[in-house]
This record gives sequence, structure tokens and C-alpha cells, in this order.
Amino acid sequence: MGAAILGNLRQMEKITVGWLYADLMNIYGDRGNILTLLKRAEWHGLESRLVELGRGPSAEMDDIDLFFFGGGQDREQALIYDDLREHKQESLTKSVGDGAQILAVCGGYQLLGHYYQTADGARYDGIGLIDVKTEAGKKRFIGDVVVETSIAGMKPHTLVGFENHSGRTFLGPKAKPLGKVIEGKGNNGSDRTEGCVQGGIIGTYLHGSLLPKNPHLADYLIGNAVRRRGGASSLSKLDDSQELDAHDWVLGRAQRR
Amino acid sequence: MNVRKTAAVLAGKATGALSRVSGRGGGTTLPGDVARVIDPKILTRLTQDLTQGSIVITGTNGKTTTARLVSWLLEGAGHRVVANRAGANLIFGVTAAALNRAEAGGTLKADWGVFEIDEASLPRAVDEVQPRTTAVLNLFRDQLDRYGELESIAKKIERALGSLRQSAHVVLNGDDPRVAEIGLHLPNKPTWYGLEDRTVASKSLPHAADARTCPVCGASLIFDAVYVGHDGVYRCPNGHFERPKPDLAATHIELAGFDAVALTIDGTRIAMPLGGLYNSYNVLAAYAIARSVGLEASYVAERLRTFKAAFGRQERIDFRGRHLILVLSKNPAGFNETVRTAVELAHGQHFVIGLNDRKADGTDVSWIWDVDFEMLKGRAKSVIPAGVRAHDLAVRLKYAGVEAQRPQTDAAKALDLLIKTTNEGDTAYLLCTYTAMLDLRAELVRRGWAQPYWET
Repeated sequence: MGAAILGNLRQMEKITVGWLYADLMNIYGDRGNILTLLKRAEWHGLESRLVELGRGPSAEMDDIDLFFFGGGQDREQALIYDDLREHKQESLTKSVGDGAQILAVCGGYQLLGHYYQTADGARYDGIGLIDVKTEAGKKRFIGDVVVETSIAGMKPHTLVGFENHSGRTFLGPKAKPLGKVIEGKGNNGSDRTEGCVQGGIIGTYLHGSLLPKNPHLADYLIGNAVRRRGGASSLSKLDDSQELDAHDWVLGRAQRR
Repeated sequence: MNVRKTAAVLAGKATGALSRVSGRGGGTTLPGDVARVIDPKILTRLTQDLTQGSIVITGTNGKTTTARLVSWLLEGAGHRVVANRAGANLIFGVTAAALNRAEAGGTLKADWGVFEIDEASLPRAVDEVQPRTTAVLNLFRDQLDRYGELESIAKKIERALGSLRQSAHVVLNGDDPRVAEIGLHLPNKPTWYGLEDRTVASKSLPHAADARTCPVCGASLIFDAVYVGHDGVYRCPNGHFERPKPDLAATHIELAGFDAVALTIDGTRIAMPLGGLYNSYNVLAAYAIARSVGLEASYVAERLRTFKAAFGRQERIDFRGRHLILVLSKNPAGFNETVRTAVELAHGQHFVIGLNDRKADGTDVSWIWDVDFEMLKGRAKSVIPAGVRAHDLAVRLKYAGVEAQRPQTDAAKALDLLIKTTNEGDTAYLLCTYTAMLDLRAELVRRGWAQPYWET
């Protein structure tokens, strides 16, 4: 097959990224995750499209290959709480069943679980897409995190980021940890797990932003999205030396401590 | 005479002298710590000595410049002013500033205290100094690891302003929706200020915008004009909430890079050597504060012409034939404005961007992804990522499509590279977080090109 035809075929591979509540759930530089997905898709020669999914119904929910769900401040989180149930839950459940992925960070991660219980015992139900529950803790976990990831075949096998949360998240049997904590606190500060993987859903407390300094995780998500669209089974190799320098800098500082 | 007060003042002063002699900095906060241990009420006692009273200025961005403008105005009118000039804006820094000016006997002989106060420290400052005028400049997302969420800061400020005595003035930036929301709940009507010039506004919010939902119904606010960050002219689509009509408005704004800004307030034309749209807000705030304490409009306009910027706020240093302009840029809203001013107004081509993650900078650097560094793309000739987190900046710039130099974590090497990438006569903009600025400046001092900051 000629290179020109191959080029045309590649152009057919179009992935659609959906940013849930881009205007309200974007507290910790979450835009970095979106920029990284779109830029890297472009560098891999893929066509990509971003859909911002605000409050209210959206006809485009079913087109999304990869959802991103970030964190918000309490005020904003309260504003999307009902909308999530009313306008997003059903399509998200259906899309994930059809092989779509979700990357959820911090507040988004908590809202995908069974519930969040506040310090005074009030319980806010999540949408239960992942088998995790979260309870408020006394002390906020703030600082660098280094995780050894459980996702097979990932190189490097570490993820780095920054956490800032008071929730303590515990995994049920259906959710597997995203990784083991080397530095930092992770899900709850006690069982050394960080984040979760359940089917096509990844939940995590890591921002920083997460994907720019972990290009291997970005490509893992993009690769899955491409395969869902019937595309090539592997992505081209990009020059990630700058991204990995930033990754290694965080690793190095963790080791010096 | 109060013995405890005198002892506290003496101990504080001795600490300040030691700190300067030992070369450990300008003694801008430690004397305050020491004096407060001996007399916890020392700040209240000292500020009670002021013949006129105190002015307190808070907000995310612009505190130092605005406080300096107000001091400049008061001093020019013959008042003796005590101010925490070096940006030491926690309660200890304010205490140290008052101590520094007190006489050995313990009396503070000054007319006005002009204090910039960290947002989170406002309740304590209001309680201890009982200001005559308190100004809130803006509330932007800043250092979430240190301050926590914007909402809790806003609530603290609201409670502090609510506790002010009846006769006190409150000056608020009505263009900032979160500041305006604070003003809704105050017992006394504040003085609102805002910009009224659509020619310098943009139509859409930058990525770093926050606090843009209606406090009543939660709907996203509609912006008819955006000036700086989320500051502009806004309204709730359901009619519950809108930008308060300014009591003092700046119109006919003219911007000349980092060199100058001209604007009209109350029919008075004011031109001053300080650049960027964000400084229009600082000038307007200083004007509103000056008017609240009785200074004449014509005097204010005349006096502002000769103002000199504070440390790291548009400071200019000549270095081996290059003109360096140092601009503190510490959060997304601030950074967007300094980049915009440097690129669009000043047509800057050479940049050092400095990012540190020490406590004073904020230990979480994820906010750099909310800064629109894309503005540099295709316009900047050389961009040097510098500071402790230079590698993170290099990645950010790569994804912004900006071709940058290799990241330099060492200040000396960053300056060497700047010399290599620029020619004599070039102007370079150093946009840095607080301690990244200190590091670069310390290197310039070491090479004999700048004065230590507490002497400026």
C-alpha cells in the first residue's frame, strides 16, 4: 500500500474528546490534560475534535471516545451535581459500555464513585460508574506524588503529579488501583494505593497537570480511542525528551527527599 | 508610657538591625514575630499612635503597586506614612513595618499607615489596626495549595469587612464578580470603581477565568466586556445580579506597553509611567482610596505623573547593554496580563519566564496550564524557561507551540543564555514568580547590576 493511501486512511481516524463541565470543573490546570490529548493526537497524525460538555442536555455525548472530568471548587461542584445525574449519567454509562474511556481527576473521580461523605456525616451520592467511595478526612493531602503504575506495558512505569485533596477514597473489588504510591498520599494515605482503573475508566488524584508530564499515559488513552474507531493498533513514536525530563525531575526530587 | 510596648519595640528593632547586619535580608518580618511574642497587642498599640489612621489594601493582584501609589500620594501631600513596602504582607510584616518606624521610646510618630495585606490575613489586620479605608482589588485563583479555594477566602474577607466600624470606608472593584458579591452583603454602601472603556476590552474570558456564576441562581454570567481575567462588565442571564454601576470610573484609557498608561477619572486626565491595562485598575483603586481620605483630584493627577514602580513590578535594569524589564507574574490572571502587555502592547521579542515552586510561589505549578502562553507563538524570538520548575515550563511552552530555549534551573546560567540569545540594545522581559524573581535579581546583584531590594 502506498504512503499516500496510508496517509489518507490515517486521516480517517478521528477521535473525539469530551470535556465535562469545562467552564466549571477546571480548577487545577486541567486544561493541560486537554491540550496534551489534542496536541499529541495531531503529532500522531490523527484528526481530533474537542467537545465542551456544559450544563444541560447535549446531543454529542454519544460521539465521545474519551471523556475528561476534572476537579472543581465546592461552589462549582454543587452547581453541576444535579446536572450530572440528570443529563450525563445515562449517556456516560452507555458510552463506557460501548468502549468509551473516561479520565477523571480529583472531584471528577469522586463524583464517578458511589458516594462522598462529608465530615458531619452527610452523604452525597455519586453516579456509581466506578466501585469507589470517598469520605472526608481531617487533614488535606497536599504535595508531589510518585506512583508505580499497574497498567501493563507502560514505559516508564511511573506516573508523577501533585495532589491536593481532603477526601479519602477506598476501592471496592471491581476497581483496581491505578498504581502504588512511592511518594505522597494517594487515595487515602493508608493503603498506599493511588487512583483506580475499572474497564475504560481511570480515576486519580493526580493533577500537575497529569498528562503533560506523563505522555505515556496520554498515548495509552489516545491509542485506546484510536482502536475503538478501528484504527492502527499502535501509535507512532514521538520525541518525548522534554516531557520525560520534567517527569524525571519530579522523580529525582522525590528520591532526594 | 506602656512598658510592655516599649520592650516589644526595642526587641523588634534589635532583631531588624541584626538581620540586616548579618546580611540575611531586609528584616522585613522577623522583628514583627519577636515583638508580637513580647506584646501580642503591639500592632494595635502602635497604629493607635497614628495621627490619621490606617489604610488596608487586599486582593490577589496589584496590592503592592496600589499601596505604593497611595503612600506616594499621601507623602506628596506632606503626610508621614508608615508602610510595609517590601511586600511582606502577613500580619508580622505589617508589625515589623510599624516597629521599624517607631522611636526607641515606643511611640510611632507618623500620620498614616498604608498596609497591603494578604487576603487570608485580612480579618486579623482589620481587627488589629481598625482601618479607616479598606480596599479589595480583585479575587483571582491563586496558590490553591496555600490559600485553599477562592470561595473560603472571599467569605473571610466578607466577614472582616462586615466587622468594620460604622464610619469606615470600603472601596471595592465592582468589575470583579466575586468582589461585587462581597459588597452585596455589607451593612454600609461601599465605593465601587470600574473601567468604562470598551475599546480596551476583549469579548471573551481567558482560560484562567473563575468566579463567573450568579450568586443567586448559579447560571453562568454573561460578559459584555472583559478587561482583566474575569474582571469586566457582566450580568446574570436571569437578571439576579449584575456589575454594580461604578461610583468612580476610568474612561479614555490609553496604553503604551510597560511605559505608560493614561486615563480619565471624574473628568481629570491622569498619565503615569506604569504600563498595562491591569495598572489602570491599580491607579483607579489608589485614586478611590485617596479621595476617601480627602485628597483633591487635581493634586492626585499631578502627583501620579512622577511615580516610581515597586520591586519587581516593572523594574528596569540595564545589564551589559540589554534593557531588562522585571515583571512579577505569580498566578494565571497576573501572568496573562503581563504576557499580553509584553507581547501585544510592548511588542517584546525576548523573554525569560521564571517558575519556582517554593512556599511563597505556591508548591503546585499546575496553574501554568491556565496561562495563555500561546500569545508568544510566532512573536517571541527567544524564550528562556527558568527557575526551579523550568522543565515544566518548557513542556508548557512546547504545547503552546512556542519554540523555547533549553530550560535553565540555575539563575546564573539563565542570564548567561540571555546574553547569548540577545544583542546589545535589545529589551528582554523577565516574567517570574516571586522567588524566581528573587533568584534572578540576586544574581544581578552579585554581578553588580542591581541594588539589593531593601535598598531600592
